[in-house]
Amino acid sequence: MIVALVAIGAPVLAALASIGRLTRFAVTALSRLLQPPWYPAQLAQQMLVIGWLSLPVVGLTAIFTGSALAQQIFIGGSRFNAASTVPAVTVIGVVRELGPVLGGLMVAGRVASAMAAELGTMRVTEQIDALVTLRTDPFRWLVAPRILAAVLVMPFLVLVSNALGVMGGWLLATQRLGFNSAQYLATTQRYLEADDVVSSLVKAGVFGFFIALMGCYHGYHSGGGAAGVGRATTNAVVSSFILILLSNLIITVIVFGS
Amino acid sequence: MIPRIELTGVSKRFGSRQVLDGLDVAVMPGESLVIIGGSGTGKSVTLKCILGLIPIDAGSIKVDGQEVAGLKGAALDAHRTRFGMLFQGGALFDSLPVWRNISFALPGTPADRRSAAIDNLARVGLAAEVADLKPAELSGGMQKRVALARAIAARPPIIFFDEPTAGLDPITAAVINRLIRTFVTDLKITAITITHDMASVRLIADRVAMLHAGKIIWNGPLAGLDACDNAYVRQFITGSADGPIQMPGARP
Repeated sequence: MIVALVAIGAPVLAALASIGRLTRFAVTALSRLLQPPWYPAQLAQQMLVIGWLSLPVVGLTAIFTGSALAQQIFIGGSRFNAASTVPAVTVIGVVRELGPVLGGLMVAGRVASAMAAELGTMRVTEQIDALVTLRTDPFRWLVAPRILAAVLVMPFLVLVSNALGVMGGWLLATQRLGFNSAQYLATTQRYLEADDVVSSLVKAGVFGFFIALMGCYHGYHSGGGAAGVGRATTNAVVSSFILILLSNLIITVIVFGS
Repeated sequence: MIPRIELTGVSKRFGSRQVLDGLDVAVMPGESLVIIGGSGTGKSVTLKCILGLIPIDAGSIKVDGQEVAGLKGAALDAHRTRFGMLFQGGALFDSLPVWRNISFALPGTPADRRSAAIDNLARVGLAAEVADLKPAELSGGMQKRVALARAIAARPPIIFFDEPTAGLDPITAAVINRLIRTFVTDLKITAITITHDMASVRLIADRVAMLHAGKIIWNGPLAGLDACDNAYVRQFITGSADGPIQMPGARP
């Protein structure tokens, strides 16, 4: 019995300790956002890296997914004589779920890995220690600007993702499925509600927070040379994927569950 | 006279491994102490404990007579303003040009800081053109010189040199050693250098301490090093494979 309890208890304690460390890391980073000194140049650079440079991958993902979604809705809807639901279901599916989630996953793959690799390399080459000896708080200089930048730019990326996703559906529906362009757009507009857009932007901000937090946390605590940086990068991507999908479910249930 | 830095009974354990085990050492103002010892004996950990980068488990660390172990927040920041540090790999910030690396902790306008960086580049024998290069564009020796320029830029009264000549060819290593000795003498800084390189020891040190098994096992002036009869020190300075020091993980 005791052996069994020990076997269960050790991983549970380790998991709780990890959650504690992560929470402390997040609170420290957020507290640095509230007090000067701030580093606006670092923030601007991160907004460029996370936002502008992610646009191509997020945009392409949205167009392809929106198009594929319209095709599948058309095929499925045709079985029930409901092919006309393509614009309505596409816009709801894209704006509520696929735009933010796929956009978040693509940004996580690009950004969380890059952050973990950069901070991890800085850790193993003692650059983070050098920052401290030069009287610069690594949380202020490295972590806080990345988290704030991700939270600020993710809603814009998701807006673009939503627009392009809907456009992808419209393009396929009008060019291949025989829909009337004006009618398609009018139906899309009629079925799109403010709540859909607001929940999408809220999700985007939350996803941005988790992406940057995971990238910074795993990179900052990286160790063990090149292999350690590799592990940190993998952990950053996997954990941000899981947190994106989990938080998406929670927000969806809260906003639309009732 | 009060030692500039004084460590008494300092202990540090990582997991099951006791790295520092009651370490005692002191450095007087303006003195250059070189700590020698095998790999993994805790030399770098000692420097990081003094800087407050690694908390100690037990003991006392005093700088100018004031206890600094356990300092936090603004007091720790103030403590660190007294130090410059040359890291083993240079630890230059990859994303910043050389001049911003050197002037990172300096106050003033960008123009003032750039000018100060170029002055410090000249001190380490590098041309002003280097200022706008990124660290990745420099050779290993140039990176070490830039790191040296960064360590002295704020004119700290105490500088730590962590393996300053590691990975450098003998000529570049000699240049770095000479620069360090010049800074110690001209700028009247207190220095602690950790190294395996006996050429560095002979050029940089006023006093030498040997760290083994978490303790200082010999400590004396450079002039007494060759006459020392401590078997560990003798094995280390002669670079012999035979003696009381065994390679970690070696078969008995």
